[in-house]
Amino acid sequence: MPLLDIQDLHLEFGTGADAVRAVDGLSLTIAEGETLGLVGESGCGKSVTALSITRLVPAPPARYTSGRILLDGKDVLKMEQSKLRHIRGKMVSYIFQEPGSSLNPVFRVGSQIKESLQLHRPEMATDSEVIRLLKLVGIPAPELRIKDYPHQMSGGMQQRIMIAMALASEPRLLVADEPTTALDVTIQAQILDLLRDLKQRLRMSILLITHNLGIVGDIADRVAVMYAGQVVELAPARDLLQRPLHPYTQALMNSVPKLGREAGRLQSIPGTVPAVGAFPSGCRFHPRCPKAQPDCSKKVPELIEVEPSRFVRCPYWSHGKL
Amino acid sequence: MGQFLIKRVLHMIPILLGVSLLTFLLLDLTPGDYFTALENNPQITKERLDQLRAKWHLDESWYVQYGYWIKNLWFANGKLGDLKSQWNKEADGRVWRVIKHAVMPDFGDSLQYKQPSSQLITLRLWNTFMLSLMAMILAWGIALPLGIWAAVKKDSWVDRSCSGIAFLGLSIPEILLGLLALMFAYSTGWFPIGGVESDMYYGVDEWSIPRLMDRFHHLLLPAAVLAASSLAGLMRQMRSNLLDTLRAEYVTTARAKGLGEGWVIYKHALRNAINPLLTIFGYSLAHLLSGAFIVENVMSWPGLGRLTLEALQQQDYPLVVAAVLMATALLMAGNFVADLLLAWSDPRIRLEK
Repeated sequence: MPLLDIQDLHLEFGTGADAVRAVDGLSLTIAEGETLGLVGESGCGKSVTALSITRLVPAPPARYTSGRILLDGKDVLKMEQSKLRHIRGKMVSYIFQEPGSSLNPVFRVGSQIKESLQLHRPEMATDSEVIRLLKLVGIPAPELRIKDYPHQMSGGMQQRIMIAMALASEPRLLVADEPTTALDVTIQAQILDLLRDLKQRLRMSILLITHNLGIVGDIADRVAVMYAGQVVELAPARDLLQRPLHPYTQALMNSVPKLGREAGRLQSIPGTVPAVGAFPSGCRFHPRCPKAQPDCSKKVPELIEVEPSRFVRCPYWSHGKL
Repeated sequence: MGQFLIKRVLHMIPILLGVSLLTFLLLDLTPGDYFTALENNPQITKERLDQLRAKWHLDESWYVQYGYWIKNLWFANGKLGDLKSQWNKEADGRVWRVIKHAVMPDFGDSLQYKQPSSQLITLRLWNTFMLSLMAMILAWGIALPLGIWAAVKKDSWVDRSCSGIAFLGLSIPEILLGLLALMFAYSTGWFPIGGVESDMYYGVDEWSIPRLMDRFHHLLLPAAVLAASSLAGLMRQMRSNLLDTLRAEYVTTARAKGLGEGWVIYKHALRNAINPLLTIFGYSLAHLLSGAFIVENVMSWPGLGRLTLEALQQQDYPLVVAAVLMATALLMAGNFVADLLLAWSDPRIRLEK
């Protein structure tokens, strides 16, 4: 049984005629110890998917119309609030995009980490344990930093604090929602090294959400590519990066600038991401797809396994070849 | 910290000078002076009026008047003799008394009351302080919980009725509310009308329970009217601050940690939502002692506001200037307290600069 099993998740915002569907029939699994990369452009539904794992999306306005989110076999969507609190932080921890605004500005970082310990490992809620965690995430002179306020730290240090806070409860799944987007490139690399190191040492599962394909190849075992609320391709990371199958993934790969290649115009995908609620009919990517055919706008393609453990949502693969 | 304090106190000096200068200028721009009312009195001759005006320097231009006023703050004619007589008085603590007399600025005697302005102000200060303090306790005590409640239960009937009350409170002028309160007191007989206490308590011990109760009874209605005017705004402010912080990312972090909703709201969100209110708190501290002109007048409360208004109408300039300076100093002190509170509450703010 996988640690996390999302089955056919449908998430809508609003009600009645105004309802917009942000996540449409999403299915994902993460095994114990596995790292799954979830890739997509802004607004494709990857963040709400991540928050949905512990039902952190405010509802209302959000509404789960169908599907299940099985965490260790138990459906999160049917859980009571009191049970949810034991899952949040304890089984699933989060790191967010902006460490600067995700840490509470008026509390010392040490006390924010200790708060996590008090909730989930009360017997370990001591300064020495906080210091051990700070060491674990590579903060120099943790004995001194424990009394700092978030604004006294750099972005990279703040993100390390967030990671220490997330690890405090010894979670089984770490959800990292664009953990490096707000950091500059050298710090990005450090944080990714840290995540990779922690993944090996602590044997926890990671859901890494990003729009950066380069990051994914670095640490993910498998990658799911999302477009307009749907998973369009799901494959082992190496295979996906070497030979993307879905035209959207191919276009994403083409738009990654590469070192050594002759300088020219950066490739981009024509058109813009459709707004939530204004998704095109049929295949949602067809208006921007270089390989679109007339019937792409008619039938919604299914996500099908075209090769062992490689899933693609594109009508051409259902016929065997693109 | 100490440096900050000294800096702030030194900053007060030019501001107070500017405000007093401006007050003199504005008083000069109004037609007539304190003695204009006496011109129509057939018993007072023109010569006598000129004498009086000369005595108070009202025949000079306003900047000369201002110069005299500045000089008299510490170096009035006969000050040395005054200090000598203080020294010669056979009583304890004479050194302290002389120092006090030498250092305390003299704002001049009120033309109307023939008493030192500062003395008149101190007499009324206590009444105003009690009224404003009570109003502040009422306003903050009601507005903050209601604002929090409205934010937590956003768009519920609680929130809607709170915003209804707020609109009502913001749209009824204080003067009308004061009159309504008087009507209410008159028709029900539940509250006394005007004054700080009943006549029957003259000469009774200041701190005896019945007398204090009677004072409280007199205080309640004016304080409620005064509180109503600031309550609505405060409540909306509290509500919007809390709603803002509830949308903040650190609140999501707190929820993601597994904290209960109570802790999320009252520890993580509220602690941040309070900060903007501390600035408002500083300003309301200033109002504590500067008096509430409208309420004090409508409800016959013998406070500073009424004294100042009367002084203005009479063009009793020493009293006006003293009262205005008092209000200015308090506003600055309130600001200062707000800054200290904010620095204490928000670690991102540092006082030294």
